[in-house]
Parts: sequence; C-alpha cells; structure tokens
Amino acid sequence: MSVPDSERFSRQLLVWGEEKQRQIAGSTLLIAGLGGLGATVSQIMARAGVATLHLVDDGAVAWSDLHRQSLYGECDVGRKKLQVAEERLKAINSGIDIIAHESRIDRGFCIPPEVNSVVDCLDNFVSRFDLHEATPTGRFFVHGGIEGEQGQVLTLMKGTSQPLDEIFGGYLQPKGPIPVSADNVIIIAGLMCNELFHIMCGAPKLLDRFLVVDLSSFTFSFLEV
Amino acid sequence: MLRLQFYGLLRLMLSGKEALDLPWQEGDTVGRILEKFQAVETIPLTHKLISEQGILHAGTIILLNRRNILHLDKLDTPVRDGDVLALFPPGAGG
Repeated sequence: MSVPDSERFSRQLLVWGEEKQRQIAGSTLLIAGLGGLGATVSQIMARAGVATLHLVDDGAVAWSDLHRQSLYGECDVGRKKLQVAEERLKAINSGIDIIAHESRIDRGFCIPPEVNSVVDCLDNFVSRFDLHEATPTGRFFVHGGIEGEQGQVLTLMKGTSQPLDEIFGGYLQPKGPIPVSADNVIIIAGLMCNELFHIMCGAPKLLDRFLVVDLSSFTFSFLEV
Repeated sequence: MLRLQFYGLLRLMLSGKEALDLPWQEGDTVGRILEKFQAVETIPLTHKLISEQGILHAGTIILLNRRNILHLDKLDTPVRDGDVLALFPPGAGG
C-alpha cells in the first residue's frame, strides 16, 4: 500500500514542518548494534522517514533480549537480529532503504562515505572505540550508553572533537551482564533520536557535551568534554 | 577554589550532591583533591575511584577541565585554582 508522505507524516509535520522533513528524508545513518538502543533508534528513524539506514549487527535474538529490544518478539528467538530488523523496519516504512551489514565492529570495519552520521548503539567500549576510529572525518558520531537507571548521550564531530577513546580512556567493560530495563533503554534511545534530528538540521545540542540521565532521581545534567 | 562535580551513580551515593567546592593550594594534585574531598565527606567514595595501592579503578572516568586524567598525569596531575574535576561512571550497555 502506497500512502502519500503528506498523509504518513502529517502529525510530525505539525511539529517540525516541511523543511525539517526534507532534511530528515535526505539523511543517511549508520546504526551500529541492534540491541536495546539500536532496535528503538532504528525504529524511530524508519518511522520518521530517514532515507537510508545502514544497520550493523552479527547477533541473534535471545529470550533475554525480549524485555527491552523493541523490534523483536518470541517468534524471532534464534533468528539473526539484522534479518528481523530489516523485515520489521520495511513493514513500518517501505519507502526507506535499508542496507544490512552482518559484521562485528572491529579495527577493519569500514563506514560507507555516504553516511552522514554514525550512531553508537553498541554494548561494549572496545567496539565503540573501533567504530569511532572508522568514522570518516567531518561526520557526526552519536554515542549512547545505559546501565541500571543511568545513561548518557554524547555527540562528537570526527576530526575536531576529542576521540572517544580519549574521553573514555582507561574505562574497562564491567564483567557479566549489564543491568538494564526497557523504560531506561527507550528513554535513552529517544534522546539519541532527538539529537539525531537536531543534527540533521545542522544544530546538534550535545556536541562535545554529555547529557547524563539519572532516572532514579529524574535528573538530567550536562558534562562538557 | 576547585570544583568537584559528581555524575550518575556517584551522585546517587552522595544523596544527590551535584558538586562541591574545595580549597586549592599550590602543589595540589588530582589525588590530593580526592583526599581533601574524602576528609570532608562522611560517605566513603574514593575507594570506588582509587585502590588501596593508589591505582585508578576502571569504572569511573575522571575529567580535569574536560580532559581524561589518564592522558595527563593520572592522580599526580597538577590542579590549579578554578579547575573543574568531574567524576563520571558511564553506562556501558546498549
């Protein structure tokens, strides 16, 4: 079924207008990681009408993912997240292009030059550092992280901002599963999307500035880097 | 004076305290400032940041005027009047 964009986007056009919609519709994102953050970020971006989504993941859906990873259901357990995500996102918006990369993020990872912004939805800092290293100069890099009732969002501009591995230097991944719940993941993912929309309009709000969210006390604070 | 800022779980441990101003003296270092902080704060916190052997734990990043002290001189990094020292345990998951 083909529906005119004016109908599909009628409610969000009331929020941000046609010019912003055109900017969103002209954007290409790379979303690394299709876990909690990536499942929600990719879904919001598909619904909003982002032109092209490059998705990167190499994992399969597990029962322990279902409480927070909003693209997947019981019938998907054992299937590749990348394949399920592509199906679901196409079902949400058949007008966008999805380019699937079944890959781990490591030193050899290459980011296509047409990508405007790179979205870090990964779950470990080693891969995050490699993703940032692979990001082309001049592109935005939006980082998100979550743990318990805390989370953070940060935007860097590759080449002018501090590198991610300098900011987080010395930080070691906690051993064992990271505590995380659906509400917190979806809030942080929503904030990442909000920042991505600002970036698409040329006005990031979190460039070189952490937004640190503490949901146990409902506080937001900023940390300059 | 020097401002110490707390984020995330550390702020929670300090009952919501966002920041603390501490007196600065010539020769102070990041490590010395953390000692001064613990001398005035009844809630034990610095053991979360530094081991008994004086080594930085890996769960919190410490930024001095936006720069990770790991890339400066770690706990021996000199501090100056007006500096801002931020303690931030980031979320690792995605």
